[in-house]
Amino acid sequence: MTEFRTVGSAGDHPEGGLRAYEVDGEPVAVARTEAGWFAFHDTCTHNACSLADGDLEDGTVVCVCHGGTYDLRTGEVLAGPPPEPVRTYPVRVEGDEIQVGTEGSP
Amino acid sequence: MAPVGPGAIVVVGAGLAAASAVGELRRREFDGRIVLIGEEPLPPYERPPLSKEYLRGERDLGSVLVRPASWYGEQGVETRFGTRAVALDVRSREVVLADGERVEFDRALVATGARNRRLPIPGLDLDGVLDLRTAPDADRIREAAGRGSRACVVGMGFIGAEVAASLRTMGLDVAALDVFGVPLERALGPEVGRAIDSLHREHGVELHMGSPVAAIEGTGGRARAVTNERGDRVACDFVVVGLGVRPNVEPVEGSGIEVDDGILVDAHLETTAPGVFAAGDVARHRHPLFGPVRVEHYDNAIRMGVAAAAGILGEREPFADPHWFWSDQYEANLQVVGVASEWDRLVIRGSVEERSFVAFSLSAGRLVMAAGVNRGRDVRRAKKLIGREADAEALADEGTDLRELAGV
Ligand SMILES: Cc1cc2nc3c(=O)[nH]c(=O)nc-3n(C[C@H](O)[C@H](O)[C@H](O)COP(=O)(O)OP(=O)(O)OC[C@H]3O[C@@H](n4cnc5c(N)ncnc54)[C@H](O)[C@@H]3O)c2cc1C
Repeated sequence: MTEFRTVGSAGDHPEGGLRAYEVDGEPVAVARTEAGWFAFHDTCTHNACSLADGDLEDGTVVCVCHGGTYDLRTGEVLAGPPPEPVRTYPVRVEGDEIQVGTEGSP
Repeated sequence: MAPVGPGAIVVVGAGLAAASAVGELRRREFDGRIVLIGEEPLPPYERPPLSKEYLRGERDLGSVLVRPASWYGEQGVETRFGTRAVALDVRSREVVLADGERVEFDRALVATGARNRRLPIPGLDLDGVLDLRTAPDADRIREAAGRGSRACVVGMGFIGAEVAASLRTMGLDVAALDVFGVPLERALGPEVGRAIDSLHREHGVELHMGSPVAAIEGTGGRARAVTNERGDRVACDFVVVGLGVRPNVEPVEGSGIEVDDGILVDAHLETTAPGVFAAGDVARHRHPLFGPVRVEHYDNAIRMGVAAAAGILGEREPFADPHWFWSDQYEANLQVVGVASEWDRLVIRGSVEERSFVAFSLSAGRLVMAAGVNRGRDVRRAKKLIGREADAEALADEGTDLRELAGV
């Protein structure tokens, strides 16, 4: 069952931006876009760079190190060198709380 | 209903551009015959790790394949790996293989990449003189690194600089020689080159810059030292040479297709023979912004492969990518967007000393190149500014969000 954990305040989260939070000791990047909120593991599967340091472009997150490009919804690799998709998480905003869903252990 | 789209598509060369084109053809639901012909016995793989993680033994061959080896069969792509194409007959529309077999095509893509340039340096044929283009080349360097303790790197362009960094990281002593005053100077100019020079010196590379290599000296048929014209003599257990590449144009020679430091292609990546396209390191492309350019980088090979596939299927969108690439050396991540061999103004954003900066090259007021060290985000954001009139003050100001300059 998915359990939602509060990771931070929506008001503090940059508009149209990315920020890394921690969920069960794992770094999780949360993206706020015009299409809504998305959450995914904050580690590029290519060289382990932080995806929260990257950029949001047309429904994707682009890794700052080598341009690996993931679909925000599915975590699928759309371009660049990453060998594997990035894990995505359910995310919701309750009041001012950003909540990320986890399955317990991955 | 009559079949839609072209007949058989033959792809010559099975590297990154080829794999990317084949993937795009199937993604666009082209379900006709595709034949992929490659000289190397391996399915298409990525070369960037060969001077980095793969060379250092941190990644294996399976993890550098562009697609799993089974993908081609699953997608109905006929593969001829380990087979060299020797000619392209534009009139009979056939590709001729080394064993004499002829493969008919309706449309063809030439993506044969490039090979290492061999300069007339005495001693280049000695044992222990290595270069790097393929996975077996990287294996040989790794093996030499396991046996020896001191390496000479000849040429501090991207490949040489990355190999030097990897060998240092693996604990070897490294000496490097180059005719230029600083590493990467030919590609990026002296300012960025100086930052890379200090990076390598801090990591203990012994640099012998500013003098052409004279010879590789050996005893008993094995390389022992490299000398330059200034008279430096640098002893080492093996030598890695990285002196640039030449495009593999052989299959189209004599076909009538125009060649000039690469296979000439128009804005749509079509060669002078209708229905024959070229992409990747081998293609010299009439770029809408930069004029005729041939670039030797990963992202370009992928994007050109995708664009050539679209062209083969009849799309007429010019390829106008601003060209972006990276290089990793030690903990430094270098990224470059744009293409320029000269500029009249250089604007620095950030700190060269702290190795966190972007150098913007301006020519007649326009941004032609942005090269950054540990500034991936800025460089990627500068992509949209390439070719446009540049506001030098705004570029230099760390307070400016480069996305705003681009109006996005
Ligand atoms: C060690 C190394 C590190 C690199 N690091 C980076 C990096 O960090 N960043 C970056 O942007 N770029 C990097 N590059 C460059 C990048 O790998 C190339 O630009 C890219 O591989 C070009 O793709 P391609 O498909 O054009 O050519 P290739 O990948 O070279 O593929 C061409 C293939 O065609 C085959 N072939 C040639 N002739 C024939 C023939 N007659 N018949 C059949 N097959 C033939 C070749 O054997 C080869 O397998 C690096 C390159 C090397 C060698």
